[in-house]
Amino acid sequence: MSGCYCYDGTLAGLLSLYARLLAERVVVERISATPPDQQSLFSSEIYIATDQAVAEAFWQRLTRRLSSHSLKLLRHCLLADHPQQELLIYTYLLLEAEQGKRVDGMLAHPAVAPVWKLSQQVGREAHRYLGFVRFQQLQGGLYYAAIAPDHRILLLIGAHFAERFSDQQWVIHDQRHNEGILYDAEKKEWLLLPMELHAQPEITPQEIQFQQLWRSYFTTLAIPERRNLKLQQGKVPLKVRGYLTEFMA
Amino acid sequence: MDRLKILADGAKYDVSCSSSGSSRSNSGGVGSAASCGICHSWTSDGRCVSLLKILMTNRCIYDCAYCVNRRSNDVQRVALSPAEVAELTIGFYRRNYIEGLFLSTGVVRSADYTMELLIQAVRTLREQYRFNGYIHLKLVPGADPLLVQQAGLWADRVSVNLELPTRESLQLLAPDKSRDSVVGPMRQVSSLITANRAERKQSRKVARFAPAGQSTQLIVGATGESDRQIVTLSEQLYQRLELKRVYYSAFIPTVADTRLPARPEAPLRREHRLYQADWLLRYYGFAAHELLDEASPNLDSELDPKTGWALRHLELFPLEINRAGYEELLRVPGIGVRSAQRIIRARRQGHLGTDDLASLGVVMKRARYFVTARGRYAGDAGLDSNGLRSRLLDRPLQKRPVQLSLALEQPVRDETASLITGEL
Repeated sequence: MSGCYCYDGTLAGLLSLYARLLAERVVVERISATPPDQQSLFSSEIYIATDQAVAEAFWQRLTRRLSSHSLKLLRHCLLADHPQQELLIYTYLLLEAEQGKRVDGMLAHPAVAPVWKLSQQVGREAHRYLGFVRFQQLQGGLYYAAIAPDHRILLLIGAHFAERFSDQQWVIHDQRHNEGILYDAEKKEWLLLPMELHAQPEITPQEIQFQQLWRSYFTTLAIPERRNLKLQQGKVPLKVRGYLTEFMA
Repeated sequence: MDRLKILADGAKYDVSCSSSGSSRSNSGGVGSAASCGICHSWTSDGRCVSLLKILMTNRCIYDCAYCVNRRSNDVQRVALSPAEVAELTIGFYRRNYIEGLFLSTGVVRSADYTMELLIQAVRTLREQYRFNGYIHLKLVPGADPLLVQQAGLWADRVSVNLELPTRESLQLLAPDKSRDSVVGPMRQVSSLITANRAERKQSRKVARFAPAGQSTQLIVGATGESDRQIVTLSEQLYQRLELKRVYYSAFIPTVADTRLPARPEAPLRREHRLYQADWLLRYYGFAAHELLDEASPNLDSELDPKTGWALRHLELFPLEINRAGYEELLRVPGIGVRSAQRIIRARRQGHLGTDDLASLGVVMKRARYFVTARGRYAGDAGLDSNGLRSRLLDRPLQKRPVQLSLALEQPVRDETASLITGEL
């Protein structure tokens, strides 16, 4: 049995799929997420139904079995936004089933290297976004930040901001993936929620002043004799500049 | 606003930018310091912005030839009060513009008076705002040892700038500062850090003293010192005074002065090579005398110092990647700390071939000439110093066509993410 598989796009669905395929060591060509109502269109794909119980049992077995290193890899890959992440993870899990904890060190193995690279990409992006988040103070005191990262890194950066800004109410909104983190300063808790922007947030006069101060500070900092726009663009790609106060006109 | 501009303008030539090495956790107030350091932005010169880097004031009683803020330079003089510095820092910090504060200053009235102002600003932040972010504080040369000690208790990192590598050049360009007034506080801080570490072993309740250590800065190219003198000095600073970092700043003329060399362009390449050499000292187990000697007192501008060293020691290469020790691997051009660690880890699971190396992060463009994998040599030419040199020269990268990968967007929605990832 080999071929193309699909699932309903949820994490539970993906885990149900892994549980089924791994049990029989199925060789897989492709795994894709398909909305359930469209499954008939893709008749060549085998649809694996989501089973919450199977998914949870599988995840628990996995967390017990895998080293913390492997778990971190998988967690990062699950948050990635990559056309083949499901298949990459499956191939990794197959190798792990065969080799056990030895996979940790097999960095150059063709089943491990792509997972590790993807995980690194996600991890690096998450780290960059510790710096690339810009809060704006809104009427009412809420600090709002919009971002549009390539991967779904919110879960990786939430704890950092929760610790750092534990005494202010804030929201980080991932506009690309339409989800956001809401932090509640009273309960000291944060939540990942689906999120959409309906109107431009209203900012305070004080906020405008701080933004101006920051922009003028930022432009002053550069030393003209050292101008190096290429280096700057490598560090701050154009795609993120729209969200950074210092690059806004 | 104008004051901020002027004071930032005066501080920007201080190259220290790091916000790493200290981990403060938030205990009720605002902020924390991440031990890895976090860059928040990059300016149009490509330098990272991590800290709000400003001067308390640009008034100065000194007249150092290289400095924009020298007494005899005609610039507008302004100052911020300690309360203003604190307010600005918090405002920027809460918006996640910065990782903390880097506070420097011109010297007003006396060294002690100036030092007290700096300390007051930092105390306001720590006590009134309960700020736990990163603070880098400049020590004023010649300040009272008691003030120096206080500074280290409030800040994460302290620094005094050595500026010029030798006593003579300092005498020439900064006649108001003496070498001793700079090295004195450095020595003191070094011994206080050591003492603090020992005390904290006894009891965790002892307050931390400059947990991110101390650093200093050297101006490169304003005076005639050789790279050998500079690198040797750095080595001593790391070994004897246990400095965390030595920064190198390519000299950029900001004021006209007959004592200064006329330079159309800042020696940026030289600065870059010095940083590379500095890295070799701190993380790669090299000694200054291995990189530079009397016969060749300056770093090669065309080759990085590690490659230069390897070419002078071809008898040690090629190295078999599956047998070499960690320290040996570190000395191969193209292999860094991370890739050396990965090689060690990966080869436990089986012998590595040349193809594997690239996927472990080794820069094969350089490394291939210096290693064998499973006994096979990967270079396309023999180990001959002159031939290799021309192959290894830093050339601008040629743009080669690459395959375009089409990333198909596949939204993955899930409600159970929180449960599975264990974050909530």
